Amino acid sequence: MSSHKRRQYPQQQIAAYDVSAGTEGAEGPGYGYGGEAYQYADQGGVFVPAAGAASIVPTPNQVSDQLGQMNVGGGAYYGAYGGYPASGPAANPNSPGMASPYSGAAPAAAPFGAPAPSASQHNASFNDLQTVDMIQSMPPPVNDLDLPPPPLAVPIEQTITRSEYAQASPDYFRSTLNVIPSSPSLLKKSKLPLALVVRPFIGLRDSDEQIPLIEDMCIARCRRCRAYINPFAQYTKGDYRWQCNICGCANDVPQNFDWDVQSSKTKNRWERSELNYGIVDYVANSDYLARPPQPPTYVFLIDVSVNAVHNGMVNCVAETLRQTLHSLPNSDNCTRVAFIAVDGALNYFQFPLPNPLKPDERQDARMLVVSDLEDPFLPTNSGTLVNLTECMPVIERFLESLPSLFANTYSSNSAMGSALKASLGLVKSIGGKVVCITSSLPSVGLGKLQPRDERKHLGQKSEHQLLQPANNFYKSFAVDCNKAQVTVDMFLVSNNYQDVATLSNLPKYTAGSTFFYPGWSAKKHSDSLKLQAELGGHLSQELGFEGMFRARATTGLHPSQFSGHFFVRSSDLMTFPTVSRHHSYVIELNLDETIKKPYVTIQGAFLYTSSHTERRIRVMTMQVPVSDQLSAVYASADQQAIAMWFAHTASEKALQSGFDAAHELINTRIAEIFKVFRTDVLNVHTGTSSTLSLSSNLMLLPLLAYALKKNVGLRRNNQILSDIRANALDLLQTLPMPNLIKLLYPEFYALHELPDEAGLPDENGNIVLPQRLNLTGEVLQSHGLYLLDDGQVMFIWVGNDVVPNLLMDAFGVETLDEIPSGKYEMPVAEDRELNCRIRNLINASRQRNDTVYFPSLYFVHQNCDQSLKLWVAALLVEDRSESDPTYYQYLTTIRDNLAAK
Amino acid sequence: MWSPLIYTIGSILNAVNLFTQGYFLVLYGDLEIDYINPIDLCNKINPYVIPDMLVHLSLCLILLLTGHFWTFLFNVPLLVFNYLSYRSGRSVLDATEIFKTVSKYKRNSFIRLIFHLFAFFYYIFNMIIAIIGHAVAQNESRPQLMT
Repeated sequence: MSSHKRRQYPQQQIAAYDVSAGTEGAEGPGYGYGGEAYQYADQGGVFVPAAGAASIVPTPNQVSDQLGQMNVGGGAYYGAYGGYPASGPAANPNSPGMASPYSGAAPAAAPFGAPAPSASQHNASFNDLQTVDMIQSMPPPVNDLDLPPPPLAVPIEQTITRSEYAQASPDYFRSTLNVIPSSPSLLKKSKLPLALVVRPFIGLRDSDEQIPLIEDMCIARCRRCRAYINPFAQYTKGDYRWQCNICGCANDVPQNFDWDVQSSKTKNRWERSELNYGIVDYVANSDYLARPPQPPTYVFLIDVSVNAVHNGMVNCVAETLRQTLHSLPNSDNCTRVAFIAVDGALNYFQFPLPNPLKPDERQDARMLVVSDLEDPFLPTNSGTLVNLTECMPVIERFLESLPSLFANTYSSNSAMGSALKASLGLVKSIGGKVVCITSSLPSVGLGKLQPRDERKHLGQKSEHQLLQPANNFYKSFAVDCNKAQVTVDMFLVSNNYQDVATLSNLPKYTAGSTFFYPGWSAKKHSDSLKLQAELGGHLSQELGFEGMFRARATTGLHPSQFSGHFFVRSSDLMTFPTVSRHHSYVIELNLDETIKKPYVTIQGAFLYTSSHTERRIRVMTMQVPVSDQLSAVYASADQQAIAMWFAHTASEKALQSGFDAAHELINTRIAEIFKVFRTDVLNVHTGTSSTLSLSSNLMLLPLLAYALKKNVGLRRNNQILSDIRANALDLLQTLPMPNLIKLLYPEFYALHELPDEAGLPDENGNIVLPQRLNLTGEVLQSHGLYLLDDGQVMFIWVGNDVVPNLLMDAFGVETLDEIPSGKYEMPVAEDRELNCRIRNLINASRQRNDTVYFPSLYFVHQNCDQSLKLWVAALLVEDRSESDPTYYQYLTTIRDNLAAK
Repeated sequence: MWSPLIYTIGSILNAVNLFTQGYFLVLYGDLEIDYINPIDLCNKINPYVIPDMLVHLSLCLILLLTGHFWTFLFNVPLLVFNYLSYRSGRSVLDATEIFKTVSKYKRNSFIRLIFHLFAFFYYIFNMIIAIIGHAVAQNESRPQLMT
């Protein structure tokens, strides 16, 4: 049957990959595939939010200056975008009827008095279902991975102010289904998951985001369900009351809602940000404080045992910390720090305060050694946890001298467990961050770990046991940390077994991050560069403290499962001792009764203390239409969000029940989705068919799910060490959506065929990226030069027959032999344009403002190590691997199974 | 002749188990309605999980050693169940995962509760039978002593 065939591409696609056709093929008009009438719009056409942003908005002048900046959320979202079929006139805010300026309060009454339209009337305005034949449309159009999700078909009359920005931007808050099935049975039948993907922050710093801030402390909330007022709420009784759109309760409008306290004037309530924007920040008043905001506090636990000294970690870390001290969040000069150096004992450091009488007197830190590891006590009451600004010179001198202090150490033990306990004692009353940087397994004191026998389990059914914590100490310690509002971050820098699976439990349940550096050595420049960049980047991001997240949804829908790095403190409350801004979370929703309303509202509220010790609430609201039609649900499903749900669910499954169970989960779910689409959406029940259909908006879901199976975290392979697995699974559960998609399906560019503008900054200063290639060896040409980037590592693949001119342009060398293989930085050849453009592309990936990961660069060519070649081959996910067939075969197998049933 | 005493001890120990499981169930219910947080829940439940199993184990040993084999067999399923849950390391609650696992723990507690409830009536019934049997035996033996 066809499964024996090699993958067949449509004719024009072969032409596009042909050497002679070269770049013209790839840039050809329409980027058609499969010869179907259906075509994805060119990517350039999709991201023209400018029109949407310019045509704006009926709303007030006061806020209009922010609108231009908000176009990521609004414009791209609602604006005319070609990727998906238009969602009917009602949903299109740019249609002339909707654009009439909106002023004053009067018009508000009219639409809300009218009866709410029923679900069936609105079916017409849902996104159209476009069916694609998956096999015909090979290779998958991977450039569409960046497309926004299908729009939420909610007419603008639903919002109280006719604001285009009433829906939260999908960058922050999105649902896997942008049309929610009306009944639990329909949801079950659809086989699609219903979950929220939440990313409270999209940048590492406040300045990276533009969210309207409401500072007058007038926070209107529903008295029954505690939801916040939002653009979809309704006013009743002459605007004195508002009806909560989540529970339906009628509430009084707060007195100060129409009153500007600062200028003592009446305020136009329709200009208020919470009625115009789907995402707003409130400055919270003292009701939202459990205790006064605490200063940002950091405790650094630095491993100084023989391992750490020998591989150069101590040196590298001390240097990085010294440089990062000035960029730690320290807006009010109240940040506090402490340092504990850990070997077989705990070495505290006491920093003297500068003497005001003799400011020039040189003072040095004192080292206090505690060797009681079972019950680590604090050797002194003062001077260990000090104000960063006051003691900056002493701390800087201390960090300079730290490597020499332990240069001749012979202690090979590490009492990291006891050190963690000690650090908790240090900051118990304040909370904050404990940053643990270690290069050896905790071997003495509390929570000591043994190297586990990996060989016995690798490749066996019991392999997942290596991924479970070896020791209860770390989990119960995580609970203690949560009580004290302490987050633990782990930097595991080792060339030996590090038991990432156990140690990463601490960050996992305290909302921290684990960074893992296998085979690290300071002798390699790119290794120390990576550690420096990630440690520095992680520490200098703006923090949120004592965070809490709660999601609320219209009656009938409620959050049931939570996934990500945090602690679940009650059935619907996620808590974060400190908030890592580069994390994302998945919340599964349960539908437990039939929804009769045409729309449901989902609201997420994130309460946290900002680095400026100000309590803030970020409220994100979206309204989602409801339908009783399976086709409407399928036409509005969001493939990236579903892929993210798969990543979280499958990695959880792998930890609990093993890799086979995780693969099984993905396979069954994908096959079921195809089956439901065929029998219930398209109503095809009989006959063998040579097609495998799915709606166009879900077209890349099978590819992402297939790539997930081949991710290091889940791949079936008996060579992958458990540390690497554990770290990969950790990434699958924390990375925000764009980075996760990139991890699953790495970006792959042909550097020898870069379009003219690629690799150079556009008018906004962003580097233009070339078109992505499909991840298959078939696109590789032996005279080519390629860049493969998954956000964690980057590879430059140099073909065997590369012409010397290209080598000269790219690297400034003449022959292939002069290019190193393995982990190296890109050589700089200032006078070569191609070299600059390649470096621009690499830097663009490394200097993103939403992630702290710094991918290392590897050079791969014919002379390089076999394992490196295998590594790259494993990332070409569409190809055959040891345990999985090609993507084409995967699809044909599903098709044949479907036809056989 | 020891039977009445054994069954009295049995019903008392069983009542302890019954009470503990009832207490657990109330706490699980509290957690689900957010009346208690996971950390407190674990602090309240975990100290009693193993003792609860030990109480049941000691009862089983008493039954075995005193030759009440049928009653012992009646207890074997729960004994095995307890042993398996102890072996798996999941017998004590984990505060970090509690919301994912609470339904399972609740179900297990409920099954134990039902079991102990049946066992409670069984012991009471057997105790009465044994007391009556004992009394009858004494009554029957009395005339023989008289003669």
